[in-house]
Amino acid sequence: MEITTPKKTTKKDFRKLILDQYRSQVLEYGVTPKSVFKFAGDLKMKEEEFYSYFTSFESVKAAIWVNIFEDTQKQVESQDVFKTYSAREKFLSFLYTWIEELKKNRSFFITLYGEGQKSTIVKTKETSEFKERFKDFANEIILEGKETDEIAYRPIISDRYDDALWLQVLFVLKYWMDDRSPRFEKTDAAIEKSVNFAFDFMGKSSLDSFLNFAKFLLQK
Amino acid sequence: MVDKLKEQQAIPISKVQRAAKFISTGAKVGGNYVKHYAKKMVNPSMDKEELHQNNASDIYNSLSELKGSALKVAQMMSMDKNLLPRAYQDKFTMAQYSAPPLSYPLVVKTFQKHFLQTPEQLFDTFTRSAINAASIGQVHQATKDGKTLAVKIQYPGIAESVSSDLRLVRPFALRLLNMNERELDNYMGEVEEKLLEETDYILEVERSREISSACGHIPNLKFPNYYDELSSERIITMDWIEGLHINEWLNTKPSQKSKNQIGQALWNFYHHQVHNLKKVHADPHPGNFIIQENDQLGVIDFGCVKVIPEDFYEGYFALIKKDLLVEGEELNQIFFDLEFISDRDTAEEQVYFKGVFTEMIDLLGRPFHSEQFDFSDDTFFDQIFQLSNRITTDKMFRQSRQARGSRHGLYINRTYFGLYNLLNQLQAEVDTTKPDWLK
Repeated sequence: MEITTPKKTTKKDFRKLILDQYRSQVLEYGVTPKSVFKFAGDLKMKEEEFYSYFTSFESVKAAIWVNIFEDTQKQVESQDVFKTYSAREKFLSFLYTWIEELKKNRSFFITLYGEGQKSTIVKTKETSEFKERFKDFANEIILEGKETDEIAYRPIISDRYDDALWLQVLFVLKYWMDDRSPRFEKTDAAIEKSVNFAFDFMGKSSLDSFLNFAKFLLQK
Repeated sequence: MVDKLKEQQAIPISKVQRAAKFISTGAKVGGNYVKHYAKKMVNPSMDKEELHQNNASDIYNSLSELKGSALKVAQMMSMDKNLLPRAYQDKFTMAQYSAPPLSYPLVVKTFQKHFLQTPEQLFDTFTRSAINAASIGQVHQATKDGKTLAVKIQYPGIAESVSSDLRLVRPFALRLLNMNERELDNYMGEVEEKLLEETDYILEVERSREISSACGHIPNLKFPNYYDELSSERIITMDWIEGLHINEWLNTKPSQKSKNQIGQALWNFYHHQVHNLKKVHADPHPGNFIIQENDQLGVIDFGCVKVIPEDFYEGYFALIKKDLLVEGEELNQIFFDLEFISDRDTAEEQVYFKGVFTEMIDLLGRPFHSEQFDFSDDTFFDQIFQLSNRITTDKMFRQSRQARGSRHGLYINRTYFGLYNLLNQLQAEVDTTKPDWLK
């Protein structure tokens, strides 16, 4: 994860130290740290020092989500073949790689969001920055898809496609957390099928003919 | 937002959805019967063929949407030509050509999982889209070190869904195959076992290599090499076998001599496996063979291999002997051993089933009864078809409280009928060799 990013300043190191410490505490004790004071103390840090990097544990978690997203994005874009992918394939490639990145931290996420706490992923601010970053990424894909006519332009609805793709990300995440199949093969199948469905839906289809027809009738 | 999420969740993968698919097909098939009888009242001359045609396309349409194991079952049923009315057969043989392609990112991911490398890193070239679809995977063409390779990749999650898919097919097959429940369970059990084996690519490579080296001496047969370092549980890499599928080859109007040569190679291949190796490539459907230049026969898929137990082998082939020497008690014993009849049968049933099975075995064994056999003889196939038609419609069979014929018989019958069908397609005349003890 972080290991690959070169050390630039000592400041960066503290950030990384906090993230690593947070992860290992969750993994070891099976619960999230409750007190910033205690947490900072474990790192031989003053509490106020902690706040110069993160304002709360929530923002630590948010940073972990964003890190994983960034790693994923870096990885998919480093593949030569990625540039030649269609919008559908780009999104598939993103999800497959993302799930692989999550796998490295599966226990961490299960502890945080397992049993009965899955809905918190959607609600909390922990994922909001990841969501914004993801939407930027998704919008690029969508724009490209519109240019190549892979994705149909539809008034109002097509502006919400990024939300739809975000829901898909959440769906895949939930599916993966419950997945018990070896190598998480079921998740792969779920990604394949749900993305195909989403892109078939976004592509030109009978829906467009219907909208066109409806418009025609209304204009009369 | 949450509602929307639920919707998406339901569409692609839920079992309920797949079950609903089957139910709706079931309803359609039912509807076809209603239509059939309605039409028949107006036009009594209408035959059942048209009804089968309607049923077949509805069933096929829903099966082709299901993929995976269900598709495999369709294929298997299409193989058992002796079991299926003609209209079903044609549709089902299409099934093997229309599985959904895996997206390229998933192909890449599968490679990364198993080799920690992308296909581009592993091979010199690798086709972006699949060249061929197999029922549980797809085939890409690749090159490496000057060799052209075929790379077969399995759909993810197939192995886990085999059992549940089969449960879904069950009520449906019950109707379609006209079997009674016990018989079907027997059939399904064997099918499930074989399907699970088929998802194990490591086993497949092992067996392919074993059988191809054991059959390497047979003239006019070609086997690909398999590459362990490029194969895993979900990926098989082997030589690309250039050539034509049987149908395509027949369209090139080959000479009778060529057809006989291919037919003979096929016969010898099966002869050696059944009688010497006691292990047989139990999936003789046209897609598994490629015909190369100079009338060489390439064998490309060893997913389904049946091991023949010794005692089953003896009983089964003893019946095929031309002048059936065994009689009375001894014959009865063989029938018992092969589970054609059992203690629970009434005397009347025993007589009836013995009669039918003797007839069946007589048909199956006919090619063995002469030195040569001309498989272009359609009357022979019509007889087989008529017999199986009679069996599937006869109420003695449908009311029978137990399965007939051992599980092993299922695959051996399938293999032989499949082989005969291929030879019939080839219109080949073949020296029907047999082991010494059968002469």
